[in-house]
Amino acid sequence: MAADPTISLKIRTALAEYLKCDPATILTTQHLRDDLGLDSMAVIELLYRIEEAFDLQIPDQDLVGLTTVGHVVSYVEKRVGKTASPASTKKPLKPSKPKGKKKS
Amino acid sequence: MRSRVVVTGLGVVSPIGIGVSDFWKAALAGQSGISAITSFDPFPIDGYRSKVAGQVRDFAVERFVNSVHGERVDRYAQFALVAAKEALADSGLRMEKENPHRVGVIVGAGMGGMVMGEREITQLYQQQKPHRVHPNFIPVITLNSASGILAMAYGAKGPNLTISTACSSSAHALGQALHCIREGRADVVITVGADASITPLVFAGFCALRALSSKFNDDPEKASRPFDRLRDGFVMGEGAGTLILESAAHAKKRKARVYAEIAGYAATSEAYHMVIPREDGLEVAHTMKLALADAGVPPAQVDYINAHATSTSIGDAVEARAIRRLFRSRADKITISATKSLIGHTLGAAGAIGGIASVLALHTGQVHPTANYDDPDPACALAGLSRSVQERPVKVALLNAFGFGSNNAAVVFKQVKRER
Repeated sequence: MAADPTISLKIRTALAEYLKCDPATILTTQHLRDDLGLDSMAVIELLYRIEEAFDLQIPDQDLVGLTTVGHVVSYVEKRVGKTASPASTKKPLKPSKPKGKKKS
Repeated sequence: MRSRVVVTGLGVVSPIGIGVSDFWKAALAGQSGISAITSFDPFPIDGYRSKVAGQVRDFAVERFVNSVHGERVDRYAQFALVAAKEALADSGLRMEKENPHRVGVIVGAGMGGMVMGEREITQLYQQQKPHRVHPNFIPVITLNSASGILAMAYGAKGPNLTISTACSSSAHALGQALHCIREGRADVVITVGADASITPLVFAGFCALRALSSKFNDDPEKASRPFDRLRDGFVMGEGAGTLILESAAHAKKRKARVYAEIAGYAATSEAYHMVIPREDGLEVAHTMKLALADAGVPPAQVDYINAHATSTSIGDAVEARAIRRLFRSRADKITISATKSLIGHTLGAAGAIGGIASVLALHTGQVHPTANYDDPDPACALAGLSRSVQERPVKVALLNAFGFGSNNAAVVFKQVKRER
């Protein structure tokens, strides 16, 4: 089985597919509305895709804090780490990350 | 004095061609767009009594409309976007030069966004996961999704309406657009009919009504045969037609090419039965008479009828009876054709596509053939029907459209003298 992409890459890829751009151009610091131009409906569609990709349900009250790419990534990391695994693999993502990763 | 209203642009998506030029060439050749159903795949067709339809082949919205709009709507509204784009280009209208509040959109649609509708309903019932219903489900199935997306795509901020009266929807769209311009509420109305619901559930529903042809599953091109003795039900089709309607003064001011005048319209109800027309044809005759009176044209001047003619046993007989009732001895002198013989019954699009065939008959002097009119049924034979193209000047055309719910519409188009 191919290595799992990271949660961040998966989310940026989903965004890039939606925006029809290169995932490499999407930064975690970008604001979904102000930088990427997603309107509120587009954010809902994005979260729908993320729910499917990570087999999650995002409750309404959690939507408020999800305004940047980084917010979405850390939210999903937190949720996936705690409970479910991504729908595409049966393994939790966090333990599959390279062990003993170096901080630069 | 009320404004005269003219047709200045045409666009079509049909089972015999995408684009007016291909559509009309195929129509004049009597080419059939009916074939074995493939759109259900992988859903099996075996259990259906009828297995044929007029499907629009190889349609990919991004080939025609370069915008995000196409991706956000269902197939019927994608057809509408494509037909409207062609019609606007054909009309020469430049939206940047128009007052956007004077440009309206009126769409006739019978079924709406059933492709996504069926998919989401099926998934919900199978999986029982309400949180997995797509966020676009409601905007897509809401019946004004086409009129809404057209306004957004083309910047039309005038009256924006959707009319849903089953199979007569877009004939009413034409009539309401005529009224809208006559009353001075808009200079231009992008008038559309669209439907695309050859889907497992909708098709099963029409099968259940015993409304569809089932004798010609092995010979699909023979299945749609209005007024013929062997007809055994309608053939479902899909598509869209757009006519740009405009006040004559506005068209003159911008030196637009004018195809025809849309001169009259009538809307009635038979108040009789949800799916069966009155056998005596009285109400249909009355509807045609009212539309002609609205146009100020005596019945004696009608020289072409684009018949509703769905190829059902009772429907065609009633329409023929109504034509005889109204036109009496002249009934056999009127040229008649049935567009559904070529493309099937496109439901909400039927009035608009029949309207295009009517306008082109006035404009070109050619009336397309009625396919499979091989053995005229004595119950509804009319001398003006032909399997061949008929070339003759047409000055006044009458378009009929009838819908479930006891609904009738008729629209009158007139030839316009070419101004040099």
